[in-house]
Amino acid sequence: MTTAQTTTADAGDFATIALPLMPSVVRVAQALTGDESDADDLVQETFLRAYRHWQTFQRGSDCRSWLSTICRNAFYENRRRERRSTPMDDHELDSLASARSHNTARAGGVDDLFTRIDLGPAIADAIARLEPHYRYAVLLIDVDGRTYEEVADLLDVPIGTVRSRLYRGRRQLQESLISFAIDAGFGGADANSPTQRPSSNA
Amino acid sequence: MPDRSVCESVVRQLWPYLDGKVDEAERERIVAHLVNCERCASHMDFARAFIEAVGQFGPRATVSDALRNRVITALAREGFNYAG
Repeated sequence: MTTAQTTTADAGDFATIALPLMPSVVRVAQALTGDESDADDLVQETFLRAYRHWQTFQRGSDCRSWLSTICRNAFYENRRRERRSTPMDDHELDSLASARSHNTARAGGVDDLFTRIDLGPAIADAIARLEPHYRYAVLLIDVDGRTYEEVADLLDVPIGTVRSRLYRGRRQLQESLISFAIDAGFGGADANSPTQRPSSNA
Repeated sequence: MPDRSVCESVVRQLWPYLDGKVDEAERERIVAHLVNCERCASHMDFARAFIEAVGQFGPRATVSDALRNRVITALAREGFNYAG
């Protein structure tokens, strides 16, 4: 229960409060549809609904969450719900796989891989190659900072499914980046290279 | 030398631990093990650096000019007056 004072938003606020959140809505729409052109339709539908009901938005409340809910509802209303089965992987196996990946990285001389600032483009490429279920779990949680619970609610799947998709996505991403680094010869880099990011693990 | 079966049980919880998804008793068990096991601690550091790198370098959500214009045009038909 919040004690913050809330007032109903007026129409003039829509451009300054709602429209700047379009990137977040795009991300949610892409995660729901798994298809960029379908996502564009859903983004438009979301903003039209939001504008029509803007007087119900409470100033000071979380507009990103409000828009995400509209987007989610629009998606499920416009489309017969499909309960796709996602292979459920034991999260413990995906955790163990990270340790194996670390051993592979160490053997390949690239165990400092994730502290390199020049890894950015490879990370973006590797994320783009992930299967959509896994890609959007990683993007929504590890890049956008949403919680498991929030993503489960948005995608209308159990939290366990979100967790499985996230861990599998991380596993594939790690394996892909380690292979890339070994192939690219990162292991031969000077450890004092200016491409090193300072570690936050003091 | 740490017990290998304990090492495996700790590494099995690597992602849940890093995401803060283990209960307090499990978290304490893992922390106590990591203090004494350099190998498991290095696995955790490696995975933590990975998550930080993805968070730092992962692609931000973006909107194309075409989509932004399309949405604003559709809103204008609803009476929205966009001055920006």
